[in-house]
Amino acid sequence: MTLNVRVIPVLLLKNGGLVKTVGFKDMTYVGDPINAVKIFNDKEVDELLFIDIQATKENKRPNFELVSRIGREAFMPFGYGGGIRNLDDMSRLFRLGVEKVSLNSYAIENPDFMEEAAHNFGSQSVVASIDVKTDALGRHWVFDYRNGSATKLDPVEFAVLMERKGAGEILLNSVDRDGTFDGYDIEIIRKVTLSVKVPIIALGGAGKLEDLGKAVKMGGASAVAAGSFFVFHGKHRAVLITYPDKDDLRKTFSS
Amino acid sequence: MFDSEISKAQKSGSEYMNHQSYRICKRCVMDTTDPEILFYENGYCNHCTQALKKLRSLPSGQEKANKLSTLVQEIKEKGIEKKYDCIIGVSGGVDSSFVAYTVKQLGLRPLAIHLDNGWDSELAVKNIENICKKLEIDLYTYVIDWEEFKDLQLAFLKSSTPDSEIPSDHAITAILFQRALQEDVKYILIGTNTATESIGVNAWSQGHADWKYIKSIHRQFGTKQLETFPHYSIFDLMKWKILNRVRLIRILDYIEYDKLEAKSILQKEICWKDYGDKHHESVYTKFFQAYILPTKFGFDKRKSHLSSLICADQITRDQALRELKKELYPPQELKEHIDYVINKFGLSKGEFDSIMNTPPKTYWQYPNYKKTWYYKTSRAIYRVAKRLLNP
Amino acid sequence: MIVIVDYNMGNTGSILNMIKKAGGEAIISSDPEQIKNADKLILPGVGAFDAGMQNLAKLGLINVFRRQVTEQKTPVLGICLGLQLLTERSEEGIFQGLGLVDASTVRFKFVSSSGLRIPHMGWNSVVVRKESPLFCDMYPDPVFYFVHSYHVVCRNAEDVLSTTNYGYDFVSSLQSGNILGTQFHPEKSHKYGLKLMKNFVELVH
Repeated sequence: MTLNVRVIPVLLLKNGGLVKTVGFKDMTYVGDPINAVKIFNDKEVDELLFIDIQATKENKRPNFELVSRIGREAFMPFGYGGGIRNLDDMSRLFRLGVEKVSLNSYAIENPDFMEEAAHNFGSQSVVASIDVKTDALGRHWVFDYRNGSATKLDPVEFAVLMERKGAGEILLNSVDRDGTFDGYDIEIIRKVTLSVKVPIIALGGAGKLEDLGKAVKMGGASAVAAGSFFVFHGKHRAVLITYPDKDDLRKTFSS
Repeated sequence: MFDSEISKAQKSGSEYMNHQSYRICKRCVMDTTDPEILFYENGYCNHCTQALKKLRSLPSGQEKANKLSTLVQEIKEKGIEKKYDCIIGVSGGVDSSFVAYTVKQLGLRPLAIHLDNGWDSELAVKNIENICKKLEIDLYTYVIDWEEFKDLQLAFLKSSTPDSEIPSDHAITAILFQRALQEDVKYILIGTNTATESIGVNAWSQGHADWKYIKSIHRQFGTKQLETFPHYSIFDLMKWKILNRVRLIRILDYIEYDKLEAKSILQKEICWKDYGDKHHESVYTKFFQAYILPTKFGFDKRKSHLSSLICADQITRDQALRELKKELYPPQELKEHIDYVINKFGLSKGEFDSIMNTPPKTYWQYPNYKKTWYYKTSRAIYRVAKRLLNP
Repeated sequence: MIVIVDYNMGNTGSILNMIKKAGGEAIISSDPEQIKNADKLILPGVGAFDAGMQNLAKLGLINVFRRQVTEQKTPVLGICLGLQLLTERSEEGIFQGLGLVDASTVRFKFVSSSGLRIPHMGWNSVVVRKESPLFCDMYPDPVFYFVHSYHVVCRNAEDVLSTTNYGYDFVSSLQSGNILGTQFHPEKSHKYGLKLMKNFVELVH
């Protein structure tokens, strides 16, 4: 099988600008999304994922104007998430060039919507985005970023539910490891990959090339995603867009 | 000798319409697209004449080497017990990249600073990555708020003045000094150099340090408040230089700097990639210099770059003329960049066309420092103070 | 003029952008008159088979499209779902397809122990099986972006233009006369897609 492991930069949007977080807090302004798209385009990255972290909290609809401009520049697949609650908005996003739409808080609130979306647009067009946080005892719970707290939902059970409702992929994000460069949460990734058949994208904590390899080889993830890893450089966390060399990636993913 | 005539021309706010018939210098390639150019009887122009005078007054050989080692010694001493002994600006371009290389060769401990203004090309970003990784230099990036910066850049476009790089240049200077103060570093080493940039054309570009000018353009054409945009006044600059004793040093003037040789060394040592012409590490700079300047303003900045290289004996006049014959912008790439720039600015094609069709204006047609009494007075005071404090 | 058929399914914008970048001219349209006057057609597609056929029918495009392709021999490029709609039928849906190629669409079938997940999603290698202007001057070891759960099976081996391996070799692109189709998305495949799209733009009719 020559399907390459996908390596996906995740770009967070706030007020039309790119930001990065640590533990979903401590926001840093990272710059203009269009230029980031252009640079990633030139670096021939596999895929991009844009998440608007404000839309749901402020009850706003997706920023279609920005998506349209991204669509004009991106010659690789890009996904979009944040504030999506109805099929019309999804349809509009697809027409603007979005490859996949990611559902997060609305999927927690109304899992049946995932089914509707998958039915209308096909499973491969919808991603269930699941944020995970551990409690004091180290147990994992689904995190709801709207109120900034853990739910009583078990991530594995929720992932299975999303798969049943038709999600084509699951984006599994560790809140604790977000922006820390400490490595992925292999434990929860493994638990989820063993329980579902759809591809899992690991996110949260990537700090070095080896981390990407571990998520796949030890965690069983089908794809790896990262934010800070591709956007910050060095001890001062200087904003600088980087992407690993294709040969280095091949080496880290092969056993 | 010609200075008073030059300054008279500047102050009258001369137009860009060429009143002279076309003429090109016999020694360099500057021509009447600079409306203020002056020719001697032998056919040489004021630009190369002044440039050569400047170049010849610079130390060379052993004297140059001595000055360099004295400077390096001084930087190292002042930097003892500090995290960094100097600050360098990096853009991914050949000059600043070679500064980074040189600085490490000299055993200094630099902090590299990059200004992300939203226009970095992938090549520039990759070059910066290689500089920092391969030369083991710490990096700090300042990301300008894109919405503010876009507003300011658009204002400059609408003002129809010929230098749209001023917002970036002004911001980077502010950041370099501000960071120098933060890190308690007294030396900022920059890539500007006399060897390849001895010729500057006022009619083509001025106002970089002029916050009054920048603000006035923004007041007239901008729509957003500039709340976070890094800036400084001439008083700030004086304070930094005189009170805080921070020195801005053209380090490349202290070595034998040959651009071609520099490119080849960088390519070999740190996998540096060349993107063709000067300053094309920024998509916007390329677009502005290779399209807007020739099309709207009627001049080609390559002439001043190449003329500088001629004066520095790095290329011949024939080579320069051949370079100028080369296409500025392959048509397909131009189309892509026009679309990209319009898309990025959120302009319609009609709005862009109207900007392109607005007649050019000059620095002198907007409020600026140089017209003020306090500028003229403080400049005089600054000159005196500089001579007293730094004999 | 290339007409990208707009039947409300598929990222027509991205395709248009890539064609422009490839130096071509195109419009997005669901107007039968414009389709009739097209020099070339592109049938994009993201979504489900039945929804695709229903939309085409609702817009009254089935007959005019068929006529352009079979009678006028207008070159047509079907992309992803667009390719699948050109076939006779699909295991994904209950409606018949356009039946313009001798092929049908089936779901990926793997043994459970293979560990392969459906949809086939990501960048995969494409092995070209015959000469075609579509792959002219293609970069070595081309990879393209795939995202699909169903794939095409050609009855006529000569129609197979390229194959890709995912568990087994399947048809990743086909060419039958003036009918071309790719299971992958050239408009999402960087320089590889751009080269292919450029070839399509420059195809001599």
